[in-house]
Amino acid sequence: MRRSLIIILVLAALLVLGVVYFALDPSTSGIFPRCVFLSLTGYKCPGCGSQRAIHALLNGDVTGAFRYNAFLLIAIPWIALCLFAESRRVRNPRQYARLNAPLLIWLFLAALLIWWLLRNIFDW
Amino acid sequence: MQYWINHNGVQSGPVDLDGLKEMGLTSAAYVWHEGLPDWVKITQLPELQGVYEMVAQDVEPAVAGQPVQAQSVESAPAVQQPEYNSQQPAATEPCPPTNLVWAIIATVLCCIPSGIVAIIYALKVTNKYNEGDIEGAKRASETGAWWCIASIILGILTMPLMFLMSSASVA
Repeated sequence: MRRSLIIILVLAALLVLGVVYFALDPSTSGIFPRCVFLSLTGYKCPGCGSQRAIHALLNGDVTGAFRYNAFLLIAIPWIALCLFAESRRVRNPRQYARLNAPLLIWLFLAALLIWWLLRNIFDW
Repeated sequence: MQYWINHNGVQSGPVDLDGLKEMGLTSAAYVWHEGLPDWVKITQLPELQGVYEMVAQDVEPAVAGQPVQAQSVESAPAVQQPEYNSQQPAATEPCPPTNLVWAIIATVLCCIPSGIVAIIYALKVTNKYNEGDIEGAKRASETGAWWCIASIILGILTMPLMFLMSSASVA
């Protein structure tokens, strides 16, 4: 009961956020927060450009989303798969274990760090 | 649905839901039914809520991790085995949550690189779990969850702050 309430609240919040990110462009509108890490250090964090990428994606502009944050675009199917496995962790532990295998997490971590490094070198 | 039960090292079944209610089970019991890849603690099946008593300290049964019928003194096959017994895996607890998704979401969406710490804890969970260190895996899982929560909350908290800072610099 409590669980389904939480799920409904989360879905409602996602819907509201979706509408906001669909309608307003973070690169021109002032209501969106800037990245803390970028503001403090001057270097991009792995998530910089996510808001603009989501706006582009919601408006059907996949190449634009790729330009703003390529890593996010690649991570979205992975996140969806992991969320699905997470919701079935007790019912289907095998599937969960396969998706959370140390090798996969290592690969993800390595990809993330390389992406972080490269985007600051080449200004992606 | 037919259930097999392992309660304090004694295996029984198959019984249906009504049969379970009459068995006086506690939360220390393990159950298995067709379709489950493994034995699970009875507390992990939401549909069985109410058929068992919560024990004060829900300690692992003496045969922790191995509820097979090893303890019957008489060697008589008193316990009827399910026919697919050969394929039934040894009982283990499922892996505690690695929180990997939340760590990824925190890293990619919240602009707070501390989510990377949570990813490393996710790695620790599966590593410890694969080594058989369930307690260690649970501890890593909990710490990782806190890192995820902290990253996401910090990300949300700093948003208005960053908005103030950016408008201040514009003005």
